[in-house]
Amino acid sequence: MSSNLAERWSELPVLLAGHMLLSLAAILVGLSISLPLGILAASRPRLAAVVLNVASVIQTIPGLALLALMVPLLGGTIGYAPAFLALMLYSILPILRNTIVGLQGLDPVVREAARGIGMTEHERLWQVELPLALPVIVAGLRTAVVWVVGAATLATPVGASSLGNYIFAGLQTRNWLSVLFGCLFAAGLAIALDQIIRLLEVAARDRRRGLAISVGAALLALIVITIAPRFVPASVFRGGGPVAAELDGGHDLADQTIVVGAKAFTEQYILGSLMETRLEAAGARVERLDNLGSTIAFDALRTGEIDVYIDYTGTIWATVMNRPEPINRHAMLAEMTGWLYAEHGILALGGLGFENAYGFAMARDRAEALGVVSLADLADHADGMSVGGDAEVFSRPEWVNTRDQYDLGAMQTRAMDAAFMYGAVRDGQVDMISAYTTDGRIAAFDLLVLADPRSVLPPYDAVILLSPQAAADPALVDVLSGLVGTIDSDAMREANRRVDLDRETPAQAAGWLSGHVASNPGDDQ
Amino acid sequence: MSEAAPPVLEVRKVSKIYAGVVEAVRAVSLTVEKGQLLVLAGASGCGKTSLLKMINRLEEPSGGSIMFGGKDISGEDAVALRRRIGWVMQGDGLFPHMSVRRNVGLIPAMAGQDAARVELRVREMLDMVRLDPLEFGDRMPGELSGGQRQRVGFARALAGRPELVLMDEPFSALDPITRDGLQQDFRQLQADLGFAAVMVTHDMAEALIMADAVAVMRDGRLIQQGTPHSLMTAPADEYVSDLLESPRRQMRAISELVQ
Repeated sequence: MSSNLAERWSELPVLLAGHMLLSLAAILVGLSISLPLGILAASRPRLAAVVLNVASVIQTIPGLALLALMVPLLGGTIGYAPAFLALMLYSILPILRNTIVGLQGLDPVVREAARGIGMTEHERLWQVELPLALPVIVAGLRTAVVWVVGAATLATPVGASSLGNYIFAGLQTRNWLSVLFGCLFAAGLAIALDQIIRLLEVAARDRRRGLAISVGAALLALIVITIAPRFVPASVFRGGGPVAAELDGGHDLADQTIVVGAKAFTEQYILGSLMETRLEAAGARVERLDNLGSTIAFDALRTGEIDVYIDYTGTIWATVMNRPEPINRHAMLAEMTGWLYAEHGILALGGLGFENAYGFAMARDRAEALGVVSLADLADHADGMSVGGDAEVFSRPEWVNTRDQYDLGAMQTRAMDAAFMYGAVRDGQVDMISAYTTDGRIAAFDLLVLADPRSVLPPYDAVILLSPQAAADPALVDVLSGLVGTIDSDAMREANRRVDLDRETPAQAAGWLSGHVASNPGDDQ
Repeated sequence: MSEAAPPVLEVRKVSKIYAGVVEAVRAVSLTVEKGQLLVLAGASGCGKTSLLKMINRLEEPSGGSIMFGGKDISGEDAVALRRRIGWVMQGDGLFPHMSVRRNVGLIPAMAGQDAARVELRVREMLDMVRLDPLEFGDRMPGELSGGQRQRVGFARALAGRPELVLMDEPFSALDPITRDGLQQDFRQLQADLGFAAVMVTHDMAEALIMADAVAVMRDGRLIQQGTPHSLMTAPADEYVSDLLESPRRQMRAISELVQ
């Protein structure tokens, strides 16, 4: 078994448990809201119209957006709560709609017979109407189950672990085995739950007690087996990380649990791993929360749900401080540091020593053929050219200002996942991309980052950010300060390349980076 | 001096107005005695079904009163009232997800009888409507013929020992031979058990053959009430004689064949 496969298997218990707990709770609560509401609305046409419209509107919100919206709605809370809430809302429509349709569609003769022979409202509902509408209601429940189990993979960016971790991390690190793992297990879980419900319905319809018991037992077994890992210590599944820490000298952070956050790309995973190693060496227990959405990570730090993560000056400047115009690199770092501490009590420990900026890159041979070395050379060629980039860059000032300053309005923009854009520009599927300057693929794919003579692109120094509580912990600050100024752009690019191209795990690349840092202690910041 | 027992059902000047405009039933008065079958006859939309549904409070009258066993039903709990009155519908109104046994046993079971007594009653009722309990008890309504389903419908309606049975076109969906057998069986049941019954039909021949009394309705009004004999010999107006024309013609045609 390859180490990649072995590692994916080792992640499975925790991710499957998270996925199951999330989906199951969302469906159960969704069912207990939508079923009574559907019964109530079935005999009240105006209420039915209102609730169905509200549920339909919720349904039209894309899953990822609904999940992300729950974070600010819950005051910046990340993790299980917003994911549960969004999925629960998602499960309501199919059950609600089918309950209403199923009850309204009953044969009027049968409904009148139930009244005519003297059944109470309660008896009519439970003995006649619900049993007859059951197939339609169950069909709605099955739809909800398949939707929710699928959509639960989107819980990863709001900080809830699910099988989506495989997919998001795999996509960013081009680890297709990981993506496949997430898809297969999510699909398998959806199919298993769907079939279990189908068989339970058959058992209820045909009054087959034996079938009901065996299928019920299978469901119970599935639930217990999948969620069990959530109720035993994580170290069982991790192969003794804490023991290694015990052997190390420092115990400054003994018995503390530090939550390390990371956004959803390779560099963040590596730096998360690096901080994890340092903190564990100092005796801390570390929890990792990877794949956080960009603004979600900052919100989580502000509310103290994560203790530390790495962000970039230009990002904070534009999206948190809402400053439209970039300023000098050193001034930005200083002003951001002061602002974060004053406004939120967040401590910016200092730059790691490298910038991961946006840079517009072309395939070198193509750029040379056109005689292009700088963004200023592009205006004449812009018509008919296309530029690829991640979804957010085209609405950010980086692109807007570049386009306006260098007269590139005629270029077509094509949003795609960052994992795909380097290959796309190499293969000529797009003419230019908004690359990240530390990406290992710039050198490996022989891409040319175009010069920015008008200084439109803001600086993006990587900085360690500590939550207000973490900032008040001198031992923690001390441990992480050791990383400040130790990683230059070349080192970061090499670490990224090891993951993206050599298929090392982020932890392995972090190990290399750690060794590199040790041999080149930084003091140049 | 003891008073005579009140009639099982007394309808007093009952009217029904839908949505404040459509007068479906206009000041109808009727009486049904114990063991009697009253047939409400008339064309579709004459108000006969509305009148029937007011008797077990599936609908409420706009005016007038209905007395059941000498008591005004408007003061009674609708559910309790319906359990004392059998209800048989067009088609059959059986619950398609329940076996014959459960359908027939519903009313005794709702009344809180224990399983053994319910089962006993189910067998008794199925015997009474001439269906073998062992053969039919576990079948689902979808596995029965139309005539068998209607027999189960009667068994269900009678299982609660009602003093009055209301029937809305109970035979109209059946083929003529099945219908004839069931009509006779029903009258025999009524003679054996002594319940009063009100039946709605648009089939005059059926009304004349089965009824103790026929009430002819038109546009919500009761235009004639009497025995089949009195209707045939002295129709109140042209409308009633028109209604009787079709059975008369059939009768003539058949008697010509015999001669």
